[in-house]
Parts: sequence; structure tokens; C-alpha cells
Amino acid sequence: MIYTWADHHIFTVQGGATLFGVDHGSLFSIDETTQELLSRLGGKLSLNLAEESGADREILEGLRDARLLVPEGVKQKARPVDIEIGSVPLTTMVLEVAQECNLRCTYCYAEGGTYGKQANNMDTGTARAAVRQLIEGSRDQDRVTLVLFGGEPLLNMAAVRAAVDEAEIMSQLTGKKVFISLTTNASLLDSEIIDFIHQHRIAVAISLDGPADVQDANRPDAVGGGSYSRIVGQLDGLLKGASAAVAARVTLVPEQWSRIEEVFFHLMDLGFHEVGIAPVSPIRPELLPNAEHEERLLEGFSSLARVFVAAAKTGRILPLSNLIDLLARLHMGQTKSVSCGAGYGYLAVDVEGKFYLCHRLVGEESFCVGNLSGGPDAEKIGGIMKTITCGKEEMCGSCWARTLCSGGCHYENHLREKLLGIHKGSSCSFIRRWFQLGIEVYAEMKNAGLDEMLKKLEKRVKC
Amino acid sequence: MNRKICIKALNEKARAIEALAKNETRSVEALEDGTKWKMPVGCTTIFDTGWETNPRASSPVGNCQPSSHDYLGCAGDCWWPAQSPDGLTNTPELELICSSIARDWRDLK
Repeated sequence: MIYTWADHHIFTVQGGATLFGVDHGSLFSIDETTQELLSRLGGKLSLNLAEESGADREILEGLRDARLLVPEGVKQKARPVDIEIGSVPLTTMVLEVAQECNLRCTYCYAEGGTYGKQANNMDTGTARAAVRQLIEGSRDQDRVTLVLFGGEPLLNMAAVRAAVDEAEIMSQLTGKKVFISLTTNASLLDSEIIDFIHQHRIAVAISLDGPADVQDANRPDAVGGGSYSRIVGQLDGLLKGASAAVAARVTLVPEQWSRIEEVFFHLMDLGFHEVGIAPVSPIRPELLPNAEHEERLLEGFSSLARVFVAAAKTGRILPLSNLIDLLARLHMGQTKSVSCGAGYGYLAVDVEGKFYLCHRLVGEESFCVGNLSGGPDAEKIGGIMKTITCGKEEMCGSCWARTLCSGGCHYENHLREKLLGIHKGSSCSFIRRWFQLGIEVYAEMKNAGLDEMLKKLEKRVKC
Repeated sequence: MNRKICIKALNEKARAIEALAKNETRSVEALEDGTKWKMPVGCTTIFDTGWETNPRASSPVGNCQPSSHDYLGCAGDCWWPAQSPDGLTNTPELELICSSIARDWRDLK
């Protein structure tokens, strides 16, 4: 039979090579002979196994069994998957309970929490109705996630309490499990709110950017004062007796990317259960990184990854969310046909009860997709999806990372392409290198026999 | 040579693919003539020469297209093995059950 190569990519590291099967997200360790064969025959458009020498044939049969060689004619050009919008149950809803904020973060994509609108709060009726829509829209799903978001959600505790109460009522009525999470700047935490969070098992993500100088430069209050000491003063109370995870969510501007390690260990020392680090979204041209910035960022993540592996070898999982999530996906071989759940199982609701594709696109009227009274507008969502994925087929079709990335963040692409006028794919190189780092770390952990530890990560991505 | 030494599954997906391959057996095997050309030998009943008549005026007149190919070129590398499935008598719903012969030929009964 005549075979042709399935898309694959080889990562060579000291002491071996890893072969990534693009279509399935499969990872294989290969020896030098296989590596040599791939460099010799990998460029051939078609191969007749019967005509190859015995030794080569043996290896090629192994590659065929690994689905890296496929019968000619079977291979199809990668194309975006057309998912029927209404067919996916709703599993996550983000409530913009307060579209106002008491901090004035320099990089805020929500324009000071208001999303470019008049500062406003969600009323309790809207909060309850949104929770009910989440439950109804979840159909046969037995677990859903409710995210309390803003602005600063603690500015509107009435809506927070109403949403949590409604979630608990609906959970009792339907038997569904509702995970509740709250994203806050933590500056308004007090013992009463902390008790409420503990009592209702709410997972908390605190936006905190690291040591005082970084935090205060990035996240000043309305009069320009620092926010670090106020927040850290409340942390002990929140962490002590926590009934769900308390994570730090870091945003760093390009000039701070060389400080990633320091930021991570600072937040770990504060006692956070997890730390996730995000490079800032370029809401203004000056926040757009250059190649050197990206290099610093990757260096920072690489050295954290080295510490992560060293800790893993002593039986400890370093709580770096970015890497843990990636390793979990790589371990399972999870592939994506869409870049995220926005518009499918994931929607955001603003203070007026309007649906948006995701929390980051709130206020962008072209991404408004219905409202609480009429429900999500599947036709509009479908139209938006077609527009934002337009041209990707061509660009992503030949990329080895396409099944891991599937086009990247809609909001980030929107900013870069529409607002900053940058060509499509400006963040692809960085994204590929990040995935490569993950694959290398994964292979090293596997080769070090850390299977049990990797198994523990499975639950993070298992549906 | 032990194939396992050359390529080893690392992640769960790769393990699943390997497990799939382990249980794979060839469901069909082409008959070959044993020459260097590896020419197919014989044909199955479902690939009976069709009934469609050849409208050509030349010889062999009135014979079906595939079998005329057989007459005209059935030696060496000119052997013509790919008769069409018979859509008139044996498989009248050919288009429905076998829209792509390369993919769906197992569905022909």
C-alpha cells in the first residue's frame, strides 16, 4: 500500500527526540535510527512500504501504527471544524456584576472596569435570571461554572450574594453541581466577605502582580496610591480556612517580563494555592511587545519550567497554573477544534443582561450576542465565528501547533488585528515556542518516570 | 529489530493509538501474481464486469466497457483490473451505499 506522511513535528532535546503527531496530539519518544529515517524520508510525498529495505520498513511500520503514516488518499487538508452553535450546552457563564472598579490598573482592558460604558451595577434580579439561564442552557451537563466578575465584583455584594443564592437553589432543584468562582482585586475583602466566600466554597482568583513595586505600579487606586499592602493584609484571613482554591492571577507589562521568576516565588511565598502569569493584552500600541521582550518572557518561563521539573523530581508540583494546564492537556493528548469555548459553552453577561461572546469582549457591540430575555442568538454567534476564523484555514493549516492552539484568543486577535492594525499571526511564533517548552518539559518528566504525578494532572482537563 | 525500541508512546493519546494498532488485523489482502510488478490476480464477484454496453461501433461491438478493456489490454503492466461494480443487477443502489469506492467498498455485499 502507498502511504503518505501525516503532519508531525520533531523536537530534539539533549538525550533524545520527541515526535508530535499533529492531528491526534500524540507524543512519542523516538530513537536515533527513527530520527535519521525521518530526516531521510520525511520529505517524500509518498512511500511504498513494500519497496523499502527491511530495516526501514520495520520503523515505517511502527510509524504507520502510530498513525504518522497514513494510506494515500486518506489524509485530508486541515480545515476549521464547523460546530453547530446551538448544539453545545452552556457550561460557563461570567457575570459582570459590577461594571466599575476602585482601582485604576494601567493595562485594564475594561477601561477602568466600565467596559467603556457608564459605571453601573447588575441588579439582583438580573443576576438570578443569568444563573437560571446557565442552568437551563446546560441541558444534560451535570456540572457548570459560574464566574463572578467585573470591574470589581465586591463593589456589588448584593448581586454576588443573589447569584450565589440562586446557584445553590438551582443546584438543589436540579441536582447539578455549580462551581462558583470570583475574580477580584481583593482590596475590598473584609472578614464578613471572607466568611461568605468560605461558607459557599467559592474559588477565588486574586489579581495581584507580585512584589509591592510591581503591583503598585500596575494597579494603583483611583487617587494613584498603591494597592499592595491593603490586599496582602487580607490574604491570611482568606487563605486560612479556605474551602476552595485561592489563586493569584498576574498580569505583567513587557518591561516586567524579565521578573517572572521573582514574581512567581513572591506570590508562592504569600501562600497562594496557584499562580498564573499572563502577558498583558496590548490595549495600546506601547504595550505591544517587541522580539526582545518576547525572548525575556520565554526565558522567564523556561527557567521556571526548569525549577518546576527539579521540584517534580522531588515529588512536588510547583503551582504554576500556566504550565500545569499545558502539561495536563499534553498528557491527555487533548486537541482543540476551536480556540476556546467563547460563544459555544461559554458566555458573559453584562450589567444590563446582554450576552457577549466572552468576558473580555463585553462592551464591544459587534460581539453582543443576545440578551437574557431572548436568550443567546445562535445566528449572530455563528456569524461572528465565521468572521473571526476567516483566513485561519490558510494560516493555521500548515502549523504544527494548530491542534493545540486553534487560532488563539479572540480578544487578543481582535486587539492586534482590528485596533492596532497588525497582520494576522503576530503572536504565533511566541505561542509555538510556549507549546514547544511544554512538550519538552512533558518529555523530560515522562523520561524521568514521573507518571504518577502526570496522572494527577488529568483531572484538570478531563471532561 | 524490536519496533518498541524505535518509537515509544509518551502521552495517553499515543498509548491509545498504539493499543488500537495492536488489535488491528488486515481485513483483506490483495492477491498478487508474485512478479516484480505485483499485479493483482483475480477479481471478486461484486466487481463483475458491468452490463453497460459499449456504444462504440468498433470491435468488440456491443460488449461492456470494462470487458472490452480486458480484451484490449490484459497482459503485463497493461492488465486492467478495475472493473466497475455492477450497478444494474447486483448492486442497484450503488450510489447510495458506496458513494466513494475507495472508502466504502466494504459496504458492497
